[in-house]
Amino acid sequence: MAKAEKKGTVTSLASLFPPDEARKASQRVLDTLVEHERELHQLNQFVSDNNNVIDLVQRLPEQLHHDIMVPFGKAAFFPGRIIHTNEFKVLLGENYYVDRTSKQTTEILKRRGNTLQSQVDSIKAVMQDLKAEASFFDATASEAAEGLVEIREDYIEEASSETVSHADMKTADEDEEYARLFSRMDELEKEELEAENGDECESEDGDVKDLGNQVSLDNRVKNLEVLFNFLEQDLSYQLNERSTSFMCSHEASKVQPASKVLPRTSGPHNTHTAMSKPSISDKEQRIQLQTTPTNEAFTGSIVEHTHNTDSNLRGQSNSSKKTVSRFKMQRMQH
Amino acid sequence: MASSALKEQQRDLENKANDLSKLQKDIAKNHQVRKKYTIQLGENELVLKELDLLQEDANVYKLIGPVLVKQDLAEANANVRKRIEYISAELKRLDAALQDLEEKQTSKKDAIYKLQQRIQSLQAGKAKA
Repeated sequence: MAKAEKKGTVTSLASLFPPDEARKASQRVLDTLVEHERELHQLNQFVSDNNNVIDLVQRLPEQLHHDIMVPFGKAAFFPGRIIHTNEFKVLLGENYYVDRTSKQTTEILKRRGNTLQSQVDSIKAVMQDLKAEASFFDATASEAAEGLVEIREDYIEEASSETVSHADMKTADEDEEYARLFSRMDELEKEELEAENGDECESEDGDVKDLGNQVSLDNRVKNLEVLFNFLEQDLSYQLNERSTSFMCSHEASKVQPASKVLPRTSGPHNTHTAMSKPSISDKEQRIQLQTTPTNEAFTGSIVEHTHNTDSNLRGQSNSSKKTVSRFKMQRMQH
Repeated sequence: MASSALKEQQRDLENKANDLSKLQKDIAKNHQVRKKYTIQLGENELVLKELDLLQEDANVYKLIGPVLVKQDLAEANANVRKRIEYISAELKRLDAALQDLEEKQTSKKDAIYKLQQRIQSLQAGKAKA
């Protein structure tokens, strides 16, 4: 049945699982299922018997005595009456009997009913499993009868051709992920830039004002705290521009937080600009002093610095201020 | 010469098959006994539970043959406990025996399979010759 193909083999399901074998298996499962059904039936009978007994036991003490026919031997009965209608000898099992009242007997019987119920439940669960199994075997049998085939391809053959496509797929995936990352970055950068622009304008305004306005020291400290993250980023960024070696040490500690900080800073930044105006100007002044020589940093010309090529992460931290295309360029360089 | 070897091996195979069927019977018996004991264990546990729920002064009887013999509750309790212990030990023993039997069964099956193969190859050789 097995036909050798260019890549792998085609085996008919019938040769793997002969239809009559599968049918036999399903038959066997069905047999056990029937057995379980019988058991379940018996259990259900027990349950109903138990309920009847509970009923009877509850009814008996309603009267002082009952007239009954007493069984005597196999076939004989004689009339008699039940007295002591509230006294029962209950068989607990293992030939142990106990004197109980009607109420106590009912309790015992109810407990017994619970155990029976749990047995019923478990048997039902087992039956469900068996049914699933049987249907599976049936399906296999019919599939085999229909002449379904199993196609198997050798792994080794796959290896050469498949790995390539795999790799392609992987890179495609990665590209997609990067694209998504970039677009997110883009958004954040836009926000950042807006905030920054606002800042810079304001800080320049503030510069002028600050000459006149003296702000209290702790207010400034507070503002500094707020600004700390942002400024650190700025600094690291500018240091990048300055010297690769220095940046390396600084970046090492900065790189990872930078990307995380980004979304956070943009928030507080926006909200705090108004309040931190004066102190920003103060700090910014200093930074501006530093940055003036390398002011191109903000224009986006830094892209081609030597350190840029060495790692994606660094690129990310840099790019927090850059346009998206840079990432893509880096990706391409890679 | 070849045919005598073949015959011998076939006899061997028959013996082994008999052994195997005996083993399988043993396993089936073991299963039955175990089922019985499991049921008894369940019953005893129920009895114990009920006995634990009884008051101190409750009358407990044991049916011995045709007569109900009155028993002390504590005594009955101890008896049931002992019985449970015994049954559990028995079950454990049966489990060990079953495992042993199953191991034997698989090894027998292996041996039979190998024998069958050898006989087949012998027969094939004979057919060629």
